[in-house]
Amino acid sequence: MTASPSHLDLLEAESIHIFREAAAQFRKPVLMYSIGKDSTVLLHLARKAFFPQKLPFPLLHIDTTWKFRDMIAFRDKTAKDFGLDLIVHKNEDGLKQGINPIDFSPSIYTDVLKTQGLKQALDKYGFDAAFGGARRDEEASRAKERVFSFRAAGHRWDPRKQRPEMWRLLNGRLGTGESVRVFPMSNWTEKDVWRYILREKLDVVPLYLAKERPTIERNGQLLMQDDERLQPKPGEKVVMRKIRFRTLGCYPLTAAVESDASDMESIVAETINAQTSERVGRLIDHDQSGAMEKKKQEGYF
Amino acid sequence: MTIQASLKASTAAAGVKAASPLRDLNGIVHLLTCGSVDDGKSTLIGRLLWDASDLYEDQRENVRKSGRKAADSDLPDFSMLLDGLVAEREQGITIDIAWKYFDTETRRFVIIDSPGHEQYTRNMASGASFADVAILLVDARSGVKKQTKRHAAILDLVGVKRVVLAVNKMDLVGYSEDVFRKIEADFRTLCWKFGFWDATAIPLSAVYGDNVSTKSDAMAWYTGPHLLEHLEKAPSRGTASSGTFRFPVQTVLRDGQDFRGLAGTVSSGSVNVGDSVTDALSGRSAKVIRIATMDGDLKSATSGQAIALQLDVDIDVSRGAVLSSSEMRPIAAQTVEARLVWLSENAFNPRTGYLLRTVTDLIPISTLEIKALLDLETMSSHPSASCGVNDIAVTKITLGRPAAIDVFSDISETGTVMIVDAVTGASIAGGVVTAVNAKGEILGDGHFNLTREMLANGLCRDLSLSSSDREEFTRRANEAAILLRSAGVSVAIEPPPPIDDGLDPGL
Repeated sequence: MTASPSHLDLLEAESIHIFREAAAQFRKPVLMYSIGKDSTVLLHLARKAFFPQKLPFPLLHIDTTWKFRDMIAFRDKTAKDFGLDLIVHKNEDGLKQGINPIDFSPSIYTDVLKTQGLKQALDKYGFDAAFGGARRDEEASRAKERVFSFRAAGHRWDPRKQRPEMWRLLNGRLGTGESVRVFPMSNWTEKDVWRYILREKLDVVPLYLAKERPTIERNGQLLMQDDERLQPKPGEKVVMRKIRFRTLGCYPLTAAVESDASDMESIVAETINAQTSERVGRLIDHDQSGAMEKKKQEGYF
Repeated sequence: MTIQASLKASTAAAGVKAASPLRDLNGIVHLLTCGSVDDGKSTLIGRLLWDASDLYEDQRENVRKSGRKAADSDLPDFSMLLDGLVAEREQGITIDIAWKYFDTETRRFVIIDSPGHEQYTRNMASGASFADVAILLVDARSGVKKQTKRHAAILDLVGVKRVVLAVNKMDLVGYSEDVFRKIEADFRTLCWKFGFWDATAIPLSAVYGDNVSTKSDAMAWYTGPHLLEHLEKAPSRGTASSGTFRFPVQTVLRDGQDFRGLAGTVSSGSVNVGDSVTDALSGRSAKVIRIATMDGDLKSATSGQAIALQLDVDIDVSRGAVLSSSEMRPIAAQTVEARLVWLSENAFNPRTGYLLRTVTDLIPISTLEIKALLDLETMSSHPSASCGVNDIAVTKITLGRPAAIDVFSDISETGTVMIVDAVTGASIAGGVVTAVNAKGEILGDGHFNLTREMLANGLCRDLSLSSSDREEFTRRANEAAILLRSAGVSVAIEPPPPIDDGLDPGL
């Protein structure tokens, strides 16, 4: 008789089961890779699900061109180290129009470079299923999300038309024009992600670890000056601070926290004892009440 | 004050502190909460989260800042912690299943919050299918109601074995022991009929926190556990290695050389290297020579573990097969009897093409016959040939080909099924198998008839009478037939009407 499985063992097994179900049921799946800690765990689980086989689907990264430079370096190294098939898509139309996160509101920026970019890529390659690292604990509207989340033609998410799920039965049969987002980590929490990264000794983008970095304080939030496109406004100045990030995204929209946690153990300890949930650091969610739900209905991941 | 101390101070519960970051939690317990808004359900869960969980400070701050108060009190409205979609917040009711996660020092709890009203039977049943423990909530002023009976019946149907009766609002009956004892007695009588393993009644007040996560001073007469204490003792999911071995195969993995691994999750029992395993349908056996995972090979694997099995000889099994021991095989079912919760807004229609989804298989249904509907309040059944949303139907299903299926009460996971609309893919009904029969009774001609009417009402609803749309009509019909055939169904498509007969293609 072996020791009873821990909660991470159970979560891992559940995620592997979901990956295998989706890969077996859908014609052309893709893994949405956004480089952050959730994607790191998602990718690790996918590799476990199909070991010793090579991943039976590619990775897709929607590149807004505003990601931290460390993220892009990490992405390319990961793809190379694991021999992954990585697709990088940019919304060239949006970039030509000059949409950027500094001069445009977060909702316009996100819609054009992320949401539209994602839809373009899914349509271009004809993916019928996309794996994402979203968790039900992230936000209220996610708390009701299904593991297989159906999207009507045009990638629209209709909360009233989601399929009921029961037991471990996952029904992935698609109707005309439908596609699906698959969330193998639905039942994970932010703390689990960190515990698991620690347990499995996974590499993460160095930005999660505290280090002296150039910062600008704006609207009570600390932004990192990752390149010359973000300049201090009158009255602001660039100050070196010891910071780290709890979530990673486009750098002008991602707030840092001052921290001394410079190794994985201290990050996990800091997260477990944290007083605020991670989305506090995501500026796009503060835009309006019910922001995430609106974005989802429009096709955001 | 340290972070730990301030966190602790901000909760009302003593003895609850954040878990060690480096230690995994001791399993997961899924809790279903059933009851209506009026019973104070959201307040109870909110209170449990507020008192006992590792909530973030910004989540607490949201509740404090709102200024909303719990009914008849000056305390914060804890139910806010359960709010979900914007539309529902506006309506003031919960209409879907919401998932909440919290950790105590040793345990991960998952709260599955589902609506209790009769029109949401389907939501409750789907929520209950994931539950290890169900909390049935009643108002101390009204006690066990018809609704409570209905809820208990749904729990029993989907296989929940542990129930807690939370007798809420004890503050409004003066914390009276007599009131509680009477409700407790009613509850015992009610539970007698069902197959629960554990049924416990706890008197509490969600608003004031009595017996939620701390012992109530107001009810010294109650010597049993408070709610949290009781829940922390419940067995975690996935810890049982006993039971009959079942391994539904999800997919076949290859490494490009000589590895051919059958990937899946052990759904019941355990398997060891060297064991002989049998494919239920063909009856062919082989020996397990390797249990592969990315973390290294295992000597044995038990229920809940996701693995890949390598066999000594190729017995030609793939997705949909169920491996078992040779003696304890699931039945190669041709007909099954099942109790189904009708999930779809579309009522049963004998002309619709249905498929049966098991854990890893998708099987064409030759006939789906509704025999009766179950009255959950009386637990009696009434003959009926029709069935609609929220009904519980007693059905007989004849399959287009044999499939490995168990009776739910014997082995739960391989006894669960879902009815799928063959054309739209929608999940129509979910349920449990009550009987399996290896011999087909009414096989008919074995064809699935894809009629014009079926197509016009479903897949081709958006098409007009134009000839280009007729072409599209035919294209879609063919594609549906190809999909069905690839799922193993023999399909006959009704020929399209002559091109200029002026008829609607569907009529």
